Amino acid sequence: MTKTNEIPVAAQRRAGEPPESYFVPATDIYETADELVITADLPGIKPEGLSVTVEDNVLEIRGTLGAKAESPGEMLLQEFATGEFYRAFQLPADFDTDKIQAALKQGVLTVRLPKSERLRPRRIEVKIE
Amino acid sequence: MAMIRGWVPAPGPFGELQREMNRVFDAVFGKQLGAAGRIRAGYVYPPMNVWETPDGYVVACEAPGLEMGDLEVYVAGDQLTVSGNRPGDIPENATLHRRERDSGHFSRAITLPGPVDSTKTEATLAEGVLVVRIPKAEEAKPKRVTVHLEG
Repeated sequence: MTKTNEIPVAAQRRAGEPPESYFVPATDIYETADELVITADLPGIKPEGLSVTVEDNVLEIRGTLGAKAESPGEMLLQEFATGEFYRAFQLPADFDTDKIQAALKQGVLTVRLPKSERLRPRRIEVKIE
Repeated sequence: MAMIRGWVPAPGPFGELQREMNRVFDAVFGKQLGAAGRIRAGYVYPPMNVWETPDGYVVACEAPGLEMGDLEVYVAGDQLTVSGNRPGDIPENATLHRRERDSGHFSRAITLPGPVDSTKTEATLAEGVLVVRIPKAEEAKPKRVTVHLEG
């Protein structure tokens, strides 16, 4: 069993811009009738190294993967990077920011944005007269 | 220095050049390319980082979202094989807006630079990173030779 860590979604955006150099995590975005889901691969992530914020309909994911001092010996091959990552998405419409949930499991971040009532598909009852 | 066959080693002048190229590439394209900022040409999955210690080799492998049951790790001779299945996590009825995360079966083998003792291989999985520690074969470990003075 793996532990799922709930990450508090800060309401305010952290001051500043993207870091000077960063890498971009692979991300899936999909939509169901009830919610928009954003999934990002962040292998090696620790909850304290991650920040998820939403402001002005911009979802921002940033943080640091792995410490530079973690190298266990002489490096022979490097195919993936550690260090700062950053990604921001413009959300399509207003979501209830209080209801956004973010969870981390085995290096995968999942952000769930429930659609507001206004955005949900609605079945309209047709009255037969 | 030992080299992983078929791959450009990180240290040394060529590794330095590659890192410099990556820096330039990231600086120019990093922001525009999005996830493609990770160079996809010749992309191999899963990406690995390999280190050598006096006693063995440490291989770190990206495995986000995978459980130990999804992964198989073999050491045969001096070859390490990591294979598995990455289940997709997108529901069938969903509307896709963006898909960058790969799913499906994968297998990758690398040849380690020297003889190893496969019976003592340890593999751990934490936070979506698989770490395999493979000790060197006894004859490949550095030995301290005591010098006796004569006369």
